[in-house]
Amino acid sequence: MVPYEYYVALSGLLMVLGLVGIIVRRNLIAMLLSTELMLNAVNIAFVAFDMKVGDVSGQVFVFFILTIAAAEAAIGLGLIMAIYRLKKDVNTETITELKL
Amino acid sequence: MEQQLTVWAFYTFSALAVLSAFGVVFFKNIIYAVLSLISTLIMVSGLFFAMGAELIGGLQILIYAVAIVVFYVLVISTVPEFKGNSVDPAYMLVSLPIGFILFLELAYVSIYGAWQSNVGLFTNEVIKEVGNIKAVSTLLFTKYLFPFEVASLILLVAMIGAIVIGRKSHVIDEEEAK
Repeated sequence: MVPYEYYVALSGLLMVLGLVGIIVRRNLIAMLLSTELMLNAVNIAFVAFDMKVGDVSGQVFVFFILTIAAAEAAIGLGLIMAIYRLKKDVNTETITELKL
Repeated sequence: MEQQLTVWAFYTFSALAVLSAFGVVFFKNIIYAVLSLISTLIMVSGLFFAMGAELIGGLQILIYAVAIVVFYVLVISTVPEFKGNSVDPAYMLVSLPIGFILFLELAYVSIYGAWQSNVGLFTNEVIKEVGNIKAVSTLLFTKYLFPFEVASLILLVAMIGAIVIGRKSHVIDEEEAK
């Protein structure tokens, strides 16, 4: 049996990769993709802790995270479409309306 | 034998998941990034199956790897090719220490964090007897019924919001009004 610490370490690694992706990428769609990575890292941690304590509450929360991820993708991509129509670009360097 | 299979499944799935996650972060072409994301999601689903969470593993494929990725492909097909640097070297230097600090914090919390062992409705024996799917859905429709209904409301709001934001006429009208 694989100890649950390995799963938690994998979850931490995926979380860090997602954060690096959000900081590094300049494409709005790629940044949203990185948030999906971070959400998946959280899901792995939930199910791993579930496996350790022998319960299923974490899996219920993973279910909620899945629905929220779907809502987030729909809204986020809708916003990206609106930004693209307005600016004809999805580069974060060009979206500077709120800059003083 | 079965234990050995779980170990092999863990190493295979996790290695491929991390490899594809690197692809998501560092591929310049956004289509490659989305394909890597599909690979990561399917590998994570395999990990769920290896951990004995069959319902979540199935939902992961159905919702994430199919529904959400279709959203992304749809948007990528309308937004043309991305020009400019995909990865900014200056931010790369910033992200490495921040990522390392986050990893240390996560490791600290998971190793030394004192969580109380959850004494819930289910134990390992009960889950083995009724099966994972029945256990999850029992909890979902009894203790977490209200959050479940709220989640459906959130999905409805998200759908209406996405339709309103994504409407074409609304942006063009504002430009004409100016």
